[in-house]
Amino acid sequence: MKTSNNFCGSAEHDLSRRAFLGGVGAMGAGWLGTSAAVNTFAETGLNKALKNTNKRVILLWLAGGASQLETWDPKPGAPTGGPFTDMGTDIPGVRISELMPQMAKRMKHSCLIRSLNTRDGGHGGGAQMMMRGRKDEANLKYPDLGAVVSRELGRMDSPVPDYVNFYTSTEGRSSSKVSPGFLGARYAPISLYDGEKLTLPNIKKLDQITEGDHEARADLRDLLSRRFEQGRETGSVRSHAAAYARVHGLMSCEKLFDLSDEPQKVKDMYGPTQFAEQVMMARRMIEAGVPFVRVSRAWWDSHGQNFETHQELVPELDRVLAALIDDLKQRGMLDDVLIVTMGEFGRTPRINASLGRDHFATAWSASLHGAGIQGGAVYGKTDDKCEKVVENEIGAGELFATILEAAGIDSSKEYHVGARPIPLVNPGIKPIKEVLA
Amino acid sequence: MADDKQTNFKAAKEIGQKCISFSMARVPESGRYFFGTSDFSVYDVDHLAEKPEPKAFEGEGHQSYVMGVALTEQHVVTGGWDRHLVWWDRETGKQVRRQKAHAKWLRGVEVSPDGKRIISVGDDMIARVWDAVSGKLLHELEGHAKRTPTHYPSMLFCAGFSPDGQLLATGDKLGHVIIRETKTFKPVKTLDAPGHYTWDPRARRHSIGGLRSLRFSPDGKQLYTGGIEKIGNVDHLGAPGRLEIFDWEKGESLKVIKNGGSYKGLVEHIEFAPDGKWAVLGGGDHGGWLVFVDTQEMKITRELKAPMHIHEFNLNEAADKIYAVGHDKLVRFDLQA
Repeated sequence: MKTSNNFCGSAEHDLSRRAFLGGVGAMGAGWLGTSAAVNTFAETGLNKALKNTNKRVILLWLAGGASQLETWDPKPGAPTGGPFTDMGTDIPGVRISELMPQMAKRMKHSCLIRSLNTRDGGHGGGAQMMMRGRKDEANLKYPDLGAVVSRELGRMDSPVPDYVNFYTSTEGRSSSKVSPGFLGARYAPISLYDGEKLTLPNIKKLDQITEGDHEARADLRDLLSRRFEQGRETGSVRSHAAAYARVHGLMSCEKLFDLSDEPQKVKDMYGPTQFAEQVMMARRMIEAGVPFVRVSRAWWDSHGQNFETHQELVPELDRVLAALIDDLKQRGMLDDVLIVTMGEFGRTPRINASLGRDHFATAWSASLHGAGIQGGAVYGKTDDKCEKVVENEIGAGELFATILEAAGIDSSKEYHVGARPIPLVNPGIKPIKEVLA
Repeated sequence: MADDKQTNFKAAKEIGQKCISFSMARVPESGRYFFGTSDFSVYDVDHLAEKPEPKAFEGEGHQSYVMGVALTEQHVVTGGWDRHLVWWDRETGKQVRRQKAHAKWLRGVEVSPDGKRIISVGDDMIARVWDAVSGKLLHELEGHAKRTPTHYPSMLFCAGFSPDGQLLATGDKLGHVIIRETKTFKPVKTLDAPGHYTWDPRARRHSIGGLRSLRFSPDGKQLYTGGIEKIGNVDHLGAPGRLEIFDWEKGESLKVIKNGGSYKGLVEHIEFAPDGKWAVLGGGDHGGWLVFVDTQEMKITRELKAPMHIHEFNLNEAADKIYAVGHDKLVRFDLQA
């Protein structure tokens, strides 16, 4: 049997893949059309198959640039420290902002990177740097994190999207730099922009077609395809059939956006905000097999009144991130799902006259949680005022490579554009071994 | 109507500071005042001295920004983002008492006109009444919503007594005002000035602004509330300062006064001339300003750029000097002949 390009080709992975697909097939057609079917992915046998094959990634994109001083790298008492203090966590010696009391109890599932120097303090440039791990070349556009994860962990025959991107606020959306780059449109995200009622674009079944008609049409197409395939064992025929299956699956994805069947206690964990709802949807998508979901929380660009903006946004992030960790843990998925928080940059230590902080890419923080990381680890250090990195400085490339490795992807792998080998990260860039499990 | 000559102030003496000064209280009939800063300290300075040199108080004091300063006969009482109130001996500068006052960040401190009670407000959305001498908690005043309609934390920014001490008003981020009589502290009126608050539901999905200052008129009939106009880009204080004047007893908004286009930012503080004919607003964004308002005509008569964003100021008894504290500077404005 020829394997898809998402697997290494080993017999072990083939077995897992067959087990996975067999499990899905056993649920019958339209499995994704009900919430019960969505939840079936959390069942033990199937989850085990997932664990053995693929990791998943949820990126919480803090668009506009959250302040490291009001989140992961507080400096209370410093002239640059601002008015908030810090607090101890479940990891002795690790302190984070007092605005994150929920995460303070969950640092054992978390790893902090406090030494990013990404050298680009512009929204567009910074977003590109963080999403792709490097700048594009003049004639070569690199794929972003979601596209690479989608390419590596997704399945050609998956009935769900490989890469979903929530960005419902409008500010910074155009500069948020999601792109499949040279991997092409197959690995582009499905972007969800409508803040009022989220759904996948252009997949809704026309109202005038009944569910029965819809399934009958699919059955007829399958029958004709199977007849056509007889004696025509080629990749293009299989791809054609997979594409139809994928579209058919996408049309059933609407249920993933309907949170009405989530237990109230789960909703209460996440909270009542739009960001909370979207992260809940992200969890449902991951659970249903989507390899990469980015939920963008815009807009953190607090040039004025930084402390009040962070008084609003950090407790929301704290609650939602803690809820996501707990939710995944309760479902037995935390070892398989990597959660990342980052934006395009951090914010200046200097406090301006509007009590704001401006763009700052010189010494800032990101966080990793769940799969593939050393829980409780803190990598890198900034000086007493958070003006520069004084230990273990890294750039966007190292973080990019680390995320890939934590997701089970070999960051030293190469793609090819024509005959030219293109590594997943620039030459010389290594993942941070100290934070990987 | 106010005479232009009554408001012809100019910056006369600046003192540079390596920190942000948020709050102040002046000793009557003098140029001496106490101010609280972003370096967690409380300072004593005489701004009429030939070489004014701020001197820091001694003691454990605050562990965060000092947002409120009030003056009693014996003490300077300060409050900070560290949730604490601190009583200091006003002559020696030594700490007398330090106590936790709020569950969240403390935003302001006021003293009653008779000097007997201290009010503190904080982001736990409770105003607390304290005995000014003993520090005993007398009342806890609830009623401000803890969350905004979009489920984010609200903030209780300011409080103020009427000149006769019979009324206390408190104002929050959403522009909600509760007025209470001060015998039992029961509410007698609520007002709403939502124009001070901007929530952006679409582009940036966060808020800015809020009701930042309030002041009863000298006759106690009107309540002046200060904030900022609706903002298009909530990343910045990018709208003019805003004053909304209420006939509080009728619950009627009498007038909204917007600063000129280049006088953007928050109205951080409001004071009245002793004769009540004019009021002065101070605030700013990246820069700062003083804006003078004719109280009979309810219109701006003069706008003056300040050397810094002003967080608080005080007009002296003769109405010929304004002492202002703010971003990296203390400034004395003198009335020009």
